[in-house]
Amino acid sequence: MSGNDAWLNNYLVLGALLFSLGAVGFLTRRNLIVIFLCAELMLQGVSTTLVGFSGFHGTWGGQVTAIFSLSLAAAEAGVALALFVVLFKRGFSLDVSIWSDLREEDQPPVEDEPLGDEPVETPRQWPHLAPAGRLPERRPGVSGEQVPRREAVAAGEGVARNG
Amino acid sequence: MAQFSFRVLGALVPLFLGIFLMLPRGGADRSPIRWLGAALVVLSLVLLVTFPLTSAEGAVAESSGTALWSLPQTLSCYTFHALAFVSVAAAALMITARNPVYSALWFSMVLLSNSGLYLLQGADFLAASTIIVYAGAIVVTFLFVIMLAQPNGAARYDRFAREGFLSALTGLLLSGVLIAALHLAMRTEPRGPVAGLASRPADSVVTIHSAANGNSLLATHPHVGGLGRMLFTEQVVSVEITGLLLLAAVVGAMLIAGHRTEETHVRK
Repeated sequence: MSGNDAWLNNYLVLGALLFSLGAVGFLTRRNLIVIFLCAELMLQGVSTTLVGFSGFHGTWGGQVTAIFSLSLAAAEAGVALALFVVLFKRGFSLDVSIWSDLREEDQPPVEDEPLGDEPVETPRQWPHLAPAGRLPERRPGVSGEQVPRREAVAAGEGVARNG
Repeated sequence: MAQFSFRVLGALVPLFLGIFLMLPRGGADRSPIRWLGAALVVLSLVLLVTFPLTSAEGAVAESSGTALWSLPQTLSCYTFHALAFVSVAAAALMITARNPVYSALWFSMVLLSNSGLYLLQGADFLAASTIIVYAGAIVVTFLFVIMLAQPNGAARYDRFAREGFLSALTGLLLSGVLIAALHLAMRTEPRGPVAGLASRPADSVVTIHSAANGNSLLATHPHVGGLGRMLFTEQVVSVEITGLLLLAAVVGAMLIAGHRTEETHVRK
């Protein structure tokens, strides 16, 4: 096996591994965003393959195709993320299984494995920034009742949370 | 061929078994099962990398074409092995992370190491645009959406995988078939750069191109200029269609997400 062949073989094996890992994640995860990330991982595997062929043949064709797949992924991500935002607004969850009623009418529902009844883990403690400096004094010329910042944030935090 | 298949399966089985063990199925974040899965993934990657070194008939294997990741032992070879290791390990961590934020960050790690691999093949423009477009724009947009949609951290559906064993088995079969077919093709097909295709001069980081048939256009534009020439002469229709696609995607995304509905269904 000459050097060129070995390089091509390496890139193709790596591309196959990335593609298969993406397929595993696509099949097994429940979060819509993670599923979509796994689809992007499969695209990366294909790009690796294309670049390997491009280097092997010494032409630009593989790279050009990889650039097209890159822009395709960008377009796909834009539309899919817009869809996820809308779905989350309607369902307050990113779980794929709650959208199973989008199936065809004559299809039976898919029986999913039930989620475990383990409680959702306690929210993590995020680090706090140490206070530095002091609040600027309010100038007398500025009028209007301003809502204190902290209360505004606290009021916005009542977003429903789903598990 | 049988020997080769056994070797590849010997490396792929621990890989996907480790993936299966690392998949989230409730419990603590750092359980011993997860560590065992990670150890299996690392073991299989080491096996894949060191096949030609560990096999007793290494020289024979190399000459007959059965060595999988065999390369001349140069610096570029080590660079490739390191980058490929990082890439596959980050992909494994990405599909098994419980927090989608971590998934996105591991995916950007995959992208960075893949860009290094592209550079190794002389695809410098593609490496740069992968980092800029993918890691800089797409992954950051993902992170925005994750933070929009999950303000309170981990959700229950992130902590339980669905049909983990069957998925890992599917991945094992898929990669096994792909790699076996690849090996079969590499053994039977005549090899070497295809005659008649215009070649780039051998001036990439790894000088792997033995091509001497210099096209005049490519000889005068060896680097990204040649890529631009090809994009805007041979592939100009594809470029226009891609631009149209991006425009349609932008309009569609605005239409989908920019529409504010008054009624909101709360589902359980």
